[in-house]
Amino acid sequence: MSDQKFVNLTIEGRQVSVPEGTTILEAAKTAGVLIPHYCYHSGLKIAGVCRMCLVEVEKQPKLAPSCATTVAEGQVVNVYTQKALDARKGVLELLLINHPLDCPICDQAGECELQDYTFQEGRADSRYREPKRFNPAEDFGGDVLYVTNRCILCTRCVRYMGDVAGDRALCVEERGDRAHIGIAPDHDLSHPWAANVVDLCPVGALVSKDFLNKARAWELDRTASVCPNCSQGCNITLETRDEAVVRMKPRSNDAVNHFYLCDEGRLNYQWINRDDRLETPMVTGKPASWDAALAAAGAALKGGSAHVVAGASLSNEALWLLKQAAGVGKFRVAKGGEAPLPGVKDLALRADRAANATGAELMGFSRADNPLATAGKIVLIAGDDCTDLDTSALAGASTVIAICTVIPKGLPANSILLPIANFAEEEGTFTNLRGRVQRFLQARPAQGLARPSWMALAGLAAAAGKNGAFLSAEAVFIAMAKTESAFNGMSYDSVGLKGQMAAGAGVTA
Amino acid sequence: MAITTRVVERPVNEASYVRATFQGLALTFKHLVDPHKVTVQYPEEKWDIGPRWRGTHRMLTTEDGKAKCVACGLCPTVCPANCIKLVPGVDAEGNRYPAVFDIDEFRCIFCGYCQEVCPEEAIHLGRHYENAEYDRKDFVYDLTRLTSQTHAVCEMWDPADPRGE
Repeated sequence: MSDQKFVNLTIEGRQVSVPEGTTILEAAKTAGVLIPHYCYHSGLKIAGVCRMCLVEVEKQPKLAPSCATTVAEGQVVNVYTQKALDARKGVLELLLINHPLDCPICDQAGECELQDYTFQEGRADSRYREPKRFNPAEDFGGDVLYVTNRCILCTRCVRYMGDVAGDRALCVEERGDRAHIGIAPDHDLSHPWAANVVDLCPVGALVSKDFLNKARAWELDRTASVCPNCSQGCNITLETRDEAVVRMKPRSNDAVNHFYLCDEGRLNYQWINRDDRLETPMVTGKPASWDAALAAAGAALKGGSAHVVAGASLSNEALWLLKQAAGVGKFRVAKGGEAPLPGVKDLALRADRAANATGAELMGFSRADNPLATAGKIVLIAGDDCTDLDTSALAGASTVIAICTVIPKGLPANSILLPIANFAEEEGTFTNLRGRVQRFLQARPAQGLARPSWMALAGLAAAAGKNGAFLSAEAVFIAMAKTESAFNGMSYDSVGLKGQMAAGAGVTA
Repeated sequence: MAITTRVVERPVNEASYVRATFQGLALTFKHLVDPHKVTVQYPEEKWDIGPRWRGTHRMLTTEDGKAKCVACGLCPTVCPANCIKLVPGVDAEGNRYPAVFDIDEFRCIFCGYCQEVCPEEAIHLGRHYENAEYDRKDFVYDLTRLTSQTHAVCEMWDPADPRGE
């Protein structure tokens, strides 16, 4: 890398220096200029089919497609000259000839690049007077619906399926104005990573069936988060409307998931909005105040060592406080099939369907198929809802404390229940299977009297006579970074929104 | 300085209230018998309101009686008073339609932005001013009420000169 040559050029009057072989479009981004483009996507191979990124390069007679032209020493690139603007305006006019005027019912409206660039550079009206071509919409299988009329044939989806997903399911069928995206015989988009074509599509041609007609793009609140559905820890944006999560979108992070998110991850969000939640602390079957419930739980923990069952989807902060309050224990991890994305190194839907199994292991918790098997007199269950678990061992326990989002099944009637927020309702960090510590932020309010898991467990630690004086998740993280060697020297600032590798985790597994 | 009082000689025949009273009564009796009426005889007679009058809403319908609205969400977005509640749905033919469309006429400030922004020319303000109800909750107009009303609608601009030139 050190012998990489840099090229100096001028873009829109700004001097930039970029590595040799960079395209003009990427170089312009470093100069703060976004050249309009459709077919180009930094995660895909260059096609140069849309002609939207034409720019004027001085001393070149013809306009250059900036996505497919590499930079040269001393080049002077002008993006907004009249010649370039006229060319792009012409491209937009041709794209809009057969594009239906159905923005009011199109899911992409508000986040549509055709809308944006037409608004910026396109004509105000059309000169085309003939009837528009019409093709019916087609169900591509999986979560994808293809609305043929809206397609601008940028072929991002074709290249993604062929080059990245490794399943040549899509192609361009027919020619000229009859061209459309076709699906190969006996294929559909049920590939585990196929729904990424919905994100890649710059217009509303490929839309998510799950999200269809649910909300408008501009009504959504967006929160940076981490996908909780497997141990890969893909970076996501949680999009909420009226305090309910309505979809999950990938957030680009070249160290984890690039631009992608698997179908199983992105569609498994309904549980975040479930309304059968535990909303108030309970002591022996009756609602109690937080103070009373924490006092009862703390008194029980002081009475002897507790058998701890942790949830593998608790945040690092909550697991560390659990360790402070009652010591380490066991956790179980739901399993599922593994589905790699061939075009991206080290990216897969992982077999461990839990967000923070690695974090729990780094903290000293151990895996068990049935973490309740060796339960003693005092049992502390945190973040595990006991679904499909043999809870017969609980019958012999004198005290069961459950810190949970929903009431676990098979608990004795005299249990102490403390409601906590789920990951979308609190702040914290997860550690993915490669040991990357990543932050997630709060996207919706906690339900009822539920507290963030770090706050509930800090209260429990204090009630058990340990240090529980923490006022924020960040304060817990700072204390954890001091005592846990894996997290030494880390802070929310250093983790940022792209994550940071935990010490010693390295590249095991 | 001593306080002094100055007595003003008033012209009795000009300043007397008696004459003014009878003059006023004369005017009253004149109008009592005069057949020419100046005020509008509401409610038998109604004032002709202007074409740009902005009153309570109406939702226009297609020929088959369905609301023209496609639930695009522009009116709740543009509404400065936040008085429109819209939940989109999909009907049996796969068309987008408003599953819920409520307008709180108490919150509405009658700016007319919803009518101006509507791409389907569905929601309109009405040329209408008789809005009395027996119950406060009846001022939240639902889709049934919005589509069943028949009063004239506001003309935001002159159809012959839409750009105001």
